[in-house]
Formats: sequence, structure tokens, C-alpha cells
Amino acid sequence: MTESCGKTHKKIETPLARAKGLGSAKSGYKHWWMQRVTALALIPLSVWLLFHLPNIFTASYAEAQLWMSDPWNAVTLLLFLWAAFYHALLGLEVIIEDYVHCHVGKPVMLIFTRFLFLGAGVMAVYAVLKINFA
Amino acid sequence: MAKFTLPKNSKIGKGKSFKAENAGENKKTFRIYRWTPDGEENPRLDTYEIDMDKCGPMVLDALIYIKNNIDPTLTFRRSCREGICGSCAMNIDGTNTLACTKAIEDCRSDDNIKITPLPHLPVVKDLVPDLNHMYAQYASIEPWMKTDSPPPSQERLQSPEDANRLNGADGHGPAMCILCYCCTTACPSYWWNGDRYLGPSTLLQASRWVHDTRDEATGERLDQLEDPFKLYRCHTIMNCTSACPKGLNPAKEIAEVKKRIAERQH
Ligand code: SF4
Ligand code: SF4
Ligand code: FES
Repeated sequence: MTESCGKTHKKIETPLARAKGLGSAKSGYKHWWMQRVTALALIPLSVWLLFHLPNIFTASYAEAQLWMSDPWNAVTLLLFLWAAFYHALLGLEVIIEDYVHCHVGKPVMLIFTRFLFLGAGVMAVYAVLKINFA
Repeated sequence: MAKFTLPKNSKIGKGKSFKAENAGENKKTFRIYRWTPDGEENPRLDTYEIDMDKCGPMVLDALIYIKNNIDPTLTFRRSCREGICGSCAMNIDGTNTLACTKAIEDCRSDDNIKITPLPHLPVVKDLVPDLNHMYAQYASIEPWMKTDSPPPSQERLQSPEDANRLNGADGHGPAMCILCYCCTTACPSYWWNGDRYLGPSTLLQASRWVHDTRDEATGERLDQLEDPFKLYRCHTIMNCTSACPKGLNPAKEIAEVKKRIAERQH
């Protein structure tokens, strides 16, 4: 019995055929590895950001701009954005794969999530550069 | 979407109640899941009161007592009654375990002990779940020795350390698994994606073969396992390890398989 998009479809197949399914995708390692790499990168980067965040929130636009014009600050912030968006995207993909079983809805959601994170990531990077070079 | 509620025909109703006759003070009540494929009725919880002076100490003793003395229609699996065959796995008092090694006294509920089949599986009858898919998943990892070298004229040798990797120096290695599936049916990832995710029991067995020094198919085995659904649905939630009535550690074995796959990349 397979279930997709709320429809139930009875298939006559042996239990072994069902268990083997389409076989191994021979992938999944990369996803698992990058989830760990980005998590590792986020430890120092988040500590750094949390340390600076209170000051940035209370600063005026000119002060914030001055802070960001420091190359170290700008580069570290860009690295944080890369790690955070990448890690969040991988996590969201796992959630979709875990809970969405519709053969149409799942790939659509996975593609949409990638576009969303790519878009948001590019916007964030653009904002940092704009403030930095303004 | 994953289903978080029971379908209409699986909702559990109130069942029959059986009182212990001529019993003294020493009584206990068990609430047991009942469902039969004959007819259209929904599952129900039947209540059985037992005179503990006439019943053995284990939950399996209570089930056998009910079947022999109160209600012969109650259906469950059992064979060895000593925790070695894996037949009597069920959900007792909220946790998956073996009825034959679970003492009634050790149940958290003092009375009104609830017994249901292993969770999230189709039910064949009463406490008997359908294990076909899990057995097929086990068969799919080809759990036997695979070699290309011509067979030796004597036994295939293994060092004591290498044997310990399988049996466990403390006797809790992956080769000690009794295939009871308490772990797999306690795993949330298996609940949502059991059609494709192999689950802790089968992955622990896969690890047992990946780590067998006499086997010559390690690479092919890892190739077969490297899959977002077969293996990487494990999110290290650890329910499996806390469920195992034999004290094995499937979560650790799964992590070891992931490590072997990482090793060959670097
Ligand atoms: S550690 Fe993995 S296999 Fe064990 S319960 Fe969690 S997800 Fe399931
Ligand atoms: S690992 Fe433990 S719980 Fe899982 S099937 Fe084996 S013996 Fe049963
Ligand atoms: S009857 Fe064999 S494990 Fe319980």
C-alpha cells in the first residue's frame, strides 16, 4: 500500500520488492557532512555576533556603518550569513523530507525552499555590502 | 503529510470488563488492546482483573493466565519466555519491551496496566503486529557473510578483539540483537518514513555486517546504505537505545555506519 497526496494506491508486490524500493540513492553523506560543518562554523560566529549585537542595536545608523566598514566585521558577518542560511536550509530540507510524503508537493516545496533561502541570502549579503560601501 | 492522528477505523473504544472471582486482596487489572480482522468493529481496550496469587510474576504470565483462565480469544506471540526469541515484544505500560522479561511489579502503573501492540504497525490481531515489512527490510541488507576469496579449509579466523566488536566485550554488541523490533517501533523517524527508512534494528544489523572483519563486501554494503532515506533519516533521537530490552545501542551503531561512510570520503 503506498500513500501519496491523500490517495491510497494498492500495489501487488512482494515485501522484499517493497523494502528494496528504488534502491539506494548513493548520496546523503554530503548533506549530513555540511550540516555538521556549518554547525561547527556557527559556534564561534554566533558567539562573535551575540557579543556585538547589543551595541549594533542601540547604535545610530552612522555608528553602525562605521562598525561595518571595518573589513573584519564585514567579512565575519558575511561568513555568519553563509553558515546560518546554509545550516537553516539543510535543516528545513530534513523537516520537509521527514513530514511531507506527497510526490508532487515534496519536490515543489524543496525547490521553493532553496529559492527562498538563496533569495534571502543574496539580499542579506547585498545589504551588508551596500552598508559597507555606502 | 505525516499522520498525527489515528484513522477513524483505528480509534480505540471501551471494551468488555472481566472481574476476578473469589480473589483475595492481591489483585491487579490489565487493560489490553483487542482487535480482530473478522467484522467491522473498531479496536477496544478490554479490562481483566487477575488474582495475583494464582499468576506468575511477569507480564507474559498475566497474558497466559488470561488466555488459559479468562478469555481464550486473546491473541499474542510468545515462544521462549526468557527474552531470547523476540516474539513477545509489545507496548507495556507505555514502553516497548518484552512481556516475558518485564516484571509486573516493575510497571510504573501500580494497577490498570495498559498493554497494546508495538506502535505504528498494521495489526494482525490483538497484540500481534504485522512484521513483514521489517523482516523484508532486514533481508534487504543481505545479513549473511559475503566473500570473494575461496573458502578456507578450516574456520574463518577472527581475533578476539574483532569478535568483541560484534558480540560486545560486555555481551551487548550488535550481534546480540534478537530482532524484537522494540527499537524500530519506538523511533519517530520510522513512524513517519518506515516505508523507506530502514530503522534502528535493521541498521544495527547492517552495522554488525559492516564491522565483521571476515566479510569482504564492506564497500558494497556502505554503498547500499548511503541513502537519504534508508540511513540518514536517523536524527539521533536515541529512543531506540532507551527502548532496547537487551541493553543494546542501535543509535551508536548507526552513528558508526555514518562514520565509516565519512571515512571513505576523506
Ligand atoms: S537514534 Fe535514530 S534510529 Fe534511534 S530512535 Fe533516534 S532516529 Fe530512530
Ligand atoms: S536492537 Fe534491541 S530492541 Fe532493537 S531489535 Fe535488537 S534486541 Fe530488539
Ligand atoms: S517469549 Fe521469547 S522473548 Fe519473550
